[in-house]
Amino acid sequence: MRIRSTTAGLVLPVFFILGILIASALGFWETESSKIPKTIEEGDFAGLADPADIRGSYTLADVSKAFDIPVETLAKAFGFSDAEDPAAVKVKDFEEVYGVTGDLEIGTDSMRLFTALYKGLPIETDSTTAIPQPAWNILKKEGASDTETLDKYSDRIVSLEDFKDATVSSDQQTDTEDERVIKGKTLFSELLDWGVTKEQISGVLGVPMGPSGMSVRDYCSEKEIEFSAVKDALQELVDKAE
Amino acid sequence: MKKKKTIRKWVQLVLFLLIAAISVNHTLVESGKGVTFFSTASLHAVCPFGGVVTIYHLLGLGTFVKKIHPSSVVLMIVVFSSAILLGPLFCGWICPFGTFQEWIGKIGKKLFKKKYNRFIPYKYDRYLRFLRYVVLAWVLYMTAVTGKLIFQDYDPYFTLFQFWTGEIAISGFITLGLVILLSLFVERPFCKYACPYGAVLGIFNLFRIIPLRRNETICINCKACDRVCPMNLPVSTSRIVRDHQCISCYECTDTDGVCPVENTLAFQSSRYKEAVK
Ligand code: SF4
Ligand code: SF4
Repeated sequence: MRIRSTTAGLVLPVFFILGILIASALGFWETESSKIPKTIEEGDFAGLADPADIRGSYTLADVSKAFDIPVETLAKAFGFSDAEDPAAVKVKDFEEVYGVTGDLEIGTDSMRLFTALYKGLPIETDSTTAIPQPAWNILKKEGASDTETLDKYSDRIVSLEDFKDATVSSDQQTDTEDERVIKGKTLFSELLDWGVTKEQISGVLGVPMGPSGMSVRDYCSEKEIEFSAVKDALQELVDKAE
Repeated sequence: MKKKKTIRKWVQLVLFLLIAAISVNHTLVESGKGVTFFSTASLHAVCPFGGVVTIYHLLGLGTFVKKIHPSSVVLMIVVFSSAILLGPLFCGWICPFGTFQEWIGKIGKKLFKKKYNRFIPYKYDRYLRFLRYVVLAWVLYMTAVTGKLIFQDYDPYFTLFQFWTGEIAISGFITLGLVILLSLFVERPFCKYACPYGAVLGIFNLFRIIPLRRNETICINCKACDRVCPMNLPVSTSRIVRDHQCISCYECTDTDGVCPVENTLAFQSSRYKEAVK
């Protein structure tokens, strides 16, 4: 077989187009780098993917790929095994589905913590970061962290069931409650009532305050802001205003 | 001179513009403007070095290297499959940095005429050409150690396509300047002595399905092929060119290049039939 330059000139373009088409069909054509977490810069774990860099926009599939943890394990840990497509569940959905109750919350940080403990990597989290019971069971059974490390987090375990129930029951008590604690359902109007100003709220959010009848959490998820990240700062304002 | 040597030049021009457009667009998208089709395609995704580091990554030697895109893997598979057939087609036809060096080389040709690309005697030069394997080893080693695209700081290709972003290290400008300067004397200096991707693709020349074959029986030994070869390969004395440096540019062939005798020098899978003398 003789290949002339006309044919040779076509080889790569045709291969490229076929390659890209096949790759897109398989969902593999992804030129965005943001779904790969940064690597740890120094210390014993330098060069490994950094759990602290997991972002809310990652799907379970992204996390699975970056850290080599099966999607089923991740889904089970966070109670998404029954989801239609567990791989497509985004980490920021945790916040929406579970959110904050009392002192603990299940959100992006929980995924960071779980991943770190699962792989035996270092992590720093707030003391409010919860670990769902199924996630804990998995960590005990197959996680890379030793019992000693895990035990440090034993006060963070929450039952997913309780968690869902708790959110519901606290919703029901809204009217009677006078506690000035920011929760998933706290409205902007409540913050204003508690003496925080519009400017202060906008300052924390980094975007103008949402409609006063809207809950802070809903507004955050609409604006792709991590609720857990602003909650503490807002709470501080509330506490000061008291 | 004869025949259509221009197809390759056109492909090169189009690809150069395309990649330049993708790079500019990438910057625009980051500042909120730009077209969305290519919006997320960053230069790394179409980068030869991305390719090298991706190979490394795929071999399972390292963990995740920052800024490597799955699309780089796709592009790499595409380039490799073409290389199994026709060797480093990517270098001769697609790589915008090769194209860029050829363009600069045109000035060199005007300046030095026949002396251009003939400054270093080939008997020494052929050993210098292995330098790019040293560079390849260094890139792989550094990537392994740091887990980053370490080569980016020295990458003249990356510098050329991102010099406006401020993301470029001074070392990048130095290597780019050096390559431009050398291109005035030597054709494709970067490809010959430094490109790690070219080094990898060059290996395919050793076993490519469709190599360059010369029909010894009717070759008139005019040496036109030797003179035109940008990589200075001794084509006229080989029956089959399997040198790691050939870039499948077709400049030497009888089908599309300078060889004046029909059926004498072409890329073909089968041998020439023993012709009657
Ligand atoms: S140009 Fe063709 S005929 Fe001339 S030496 Fe080369 S192969 Fe032989
Ligand atoms: S041998 Fe022919 S195809 Fe290969 S680089 Fe030289 S001129 Fe180009």
